Amino acid sequence: MATSKVYSSPEAAVADVFDGAAILVGGFGGCGIPHALIRALLRTGVGNLICIFSASSRLDNPGKPLDVVDLVAAGQVQKVISPLPFHPGAGGAVEERWRAGQLEIEVLPQGVLAERLRAGGAGLGGVFLPTGLGTRFADRKEVRTVGEQECVLESPIRADFALIRADSADILGNATYRGSHRNWGPVMAMSASTTVVEVDTLCEPGEIDPELVITPGIFVNRVVQSDF
Amino acid sequence: MPSGERIELNSLLQRVAQEFAPGQVVAVGVGLPTLLAGQIPPGTGVALLSDSGVLGYRRAADPSTSDTGLVDSSETPVLADPGSSVFSLSDHGSMLRGGHVDRAVLQVAEVNAAGDFVHWTSAAHPEILAPATAVDLASGARQVIALAPHTSPDGNPHVVADLSLPPDGRGCVDLIVTDLAVMRVQARGLVLEEIAPGWNVEDVSRLTGALLAPSPHLREIPVDVLPSPPPRPLNKVYSDGLSAVADIPDGATVMIDGFGGPGGMAHYLLVSLREQGAKDLTIISNTAGIARIINFGTPPGRRAIDHSILIDNNQVRKAVASYPVSPSASRPSSFELAYRRGEVELELVPQGTLAERLRAGGAGVAAFYTPTGVGTLIADGKETRTIDGKQYVLEHGLRADFCLIRAHKADTLGNVVYRGTSRNFNPVMAPAATVTVVEVDEIVRPGDLDPEEIVTPGIYINRIVQRPPGFSPYE
Repeated sequence: MATSKVYSSPEAAVADVFDGAAILVGGFGGCGIPHALIRALLRTGVGNLICIFSASSRLDNPGKPLDVVDLVAAGQVQKVISPLPFHPGAGGAVEERWRAGQLEIEVLPQGVLAERLRAGGAGLGGVFLPTGLGTRFADRKEVRTVGEQECVLESPIRADFALIRADSADILGNATYRGSHRNWGPVMAMSASTTVVEVDTLCEPGEIDPELVITPGIFVNRVVQSDF
Repeated sequence: MPSGERIELNSLLQRVAQEFAPGQVVAVGVGLPTLLAGQIPPGTGVALLSDSGVLGYRRAADPSTSDTGLVDSSETPVLADPGSSVFSLSDHGSMLRGGHVDRAVLQVAEVNAAGDFVHWTSAAHPEILAPATAVDLASGARQVIALAPHTSPDGNPHVVADLSLPPDGRGCVDLIVTDLAVMRVQARGLVLEEIAPGWNVEDVSRLTGALLAPSPHLREIPVDVLPSPPPRPLNKVYSDGLSAVADIPDGATVMIDGFGGPGGMAHYLLVSLREQGAKDLTIISNTAGIARIINFGTPPGRRAIDHSILIDNNQVRKAVASYPVSPSASRPSSFELAYRRGEVELELVPQGTLAERLRAGGAGVAAFYTPTGVGTLIADGKETRTIDGKQYVLEHGLRADFCLIRAHKADTLGNVVYRGTSRNFNPVMAPAATVTVVEVDEIVRPGDLDPEEIVTPGIYINRIVQRPPGFSPYE
């Protein structure tokens, strides 16, 4: 009998996120954001986090629910790594704290972030990519010609925790997504020491067709029912 | 003074859409390009690719009331077209980098005559220079269209002599479309091809930072011309196996899917390739054909169809494989016998490394460092490197001219689902070949497959063949 990965509450599932931890946070365009896990981190008050994430949801979106911006606003984040840390013209807490010198920002192309995360999750030591040649993203990196193509050596990214949101997961962590909520989930789940999945529907093994599982449970350490 | 107005936004977007042909995949960047989803009529065969991880979608008539589970990069809900698929942002990056995207449309803040550009999100905060997906789109798509108003609200040109900020891509932009002009980036500089009605070259040049050379065929920007549907619906279906493999030349490299026994192998296409007769093939596959001698449940008196039929027909020069031998010394495979006779070459690759090299080939990863095989014969002659105290060996991406795979169902656009372990190497092989042919049990209409369940999006499939009813994997 396999062991259930279910945690009793979002708070319990992130209780050991430590000061200075690097965390991957899923979500794109307001979809697939682990709101309950973020709320739990706000409650624990853990600080100095490094958050790797995509654009936060638009601040002009009415009823904007909790996302990385709220952790930044609460002063719990020392650094964000993102292709677009905030929407131009709507920088909110991320821009304010960065301008005040209280937050470090590192940017990189979305596809390069995705591939570096995948490399981290797949156990690769580095990947040679043609992306961003001749731009600031190739500065101070090894550039070499592979075959007939000039490429940049990009290093893998791994984090201490991944917080992602799925549509359904069984108690073993086999997860499915819905529409654009999939976004970073599959690749972030691979790339952290501890992956926590917040789900709308928690089910028993066998209830999800194996063909439809997008993130196999092998990549998931903890599952928690969303209440957000 | 010019006598005409600037082209209004919808007409500008429609002009951009005239650059798209049926069957093309168009990646749209954040900002103005997302509005293209409201400008392309159904049935034109153009599939938009959003930064959010959906291929084949359009804007809902009333986005405020839609809850489709799909959004684009402007957070606007969108609707799936029939034949749409959804995937992770890792897959989105792979599609771009792997050369599977025909066009990208980007909103630029600055573009120069060399096709270097600065994305609007980078320019919005020059101290941060956040590119979103601009660098990926510009590096990956075959043709890049830069979209911008001709001048900023304070009158500065977006088409400049020199960039004021670090570029998001060098030499990437092919065509610039503004509300005053259409300009093509050529080796000799910017060629002014189209101009807004009522404007002349001098008026436009005065508002342009870079030098413009008017084309001898200079014309007015055509407005209010919608892209028209193709004369015939797009269809990748071939009538039979032989026609789908007819153009495989002698000396081609061919990927062949399959794992172990008869499951997940394109038997009908293999028989078709034997009949077609191409010689000196390099085959890339997991085994080099063992089902024929190990049987795996083959009915008595019959023989399983696998790679062996090509080897027995003297069509194979080389195999790249992880398991090229029979597990039984007393029952050698066709490939083993040919190898002992010195008729075929072999490149041995561990199975996981084979999968990763195929994935790299399809995802535009030129090479990668893997820990697999360090200190073994597999690493001989290859670069090794210690990274963070761990040893790795450098392996290269694998690509092929053709790929023959087997799936359960495909729609006519090539969106594919598998069954059970028949999935095996299919998803990593399909993106790694110039021409990928899939043999399926059943062909369905676009929209019949749930976008969530599609494993191999149609962007990776060129040809579809129905396995004839009653076709036997044994002979």
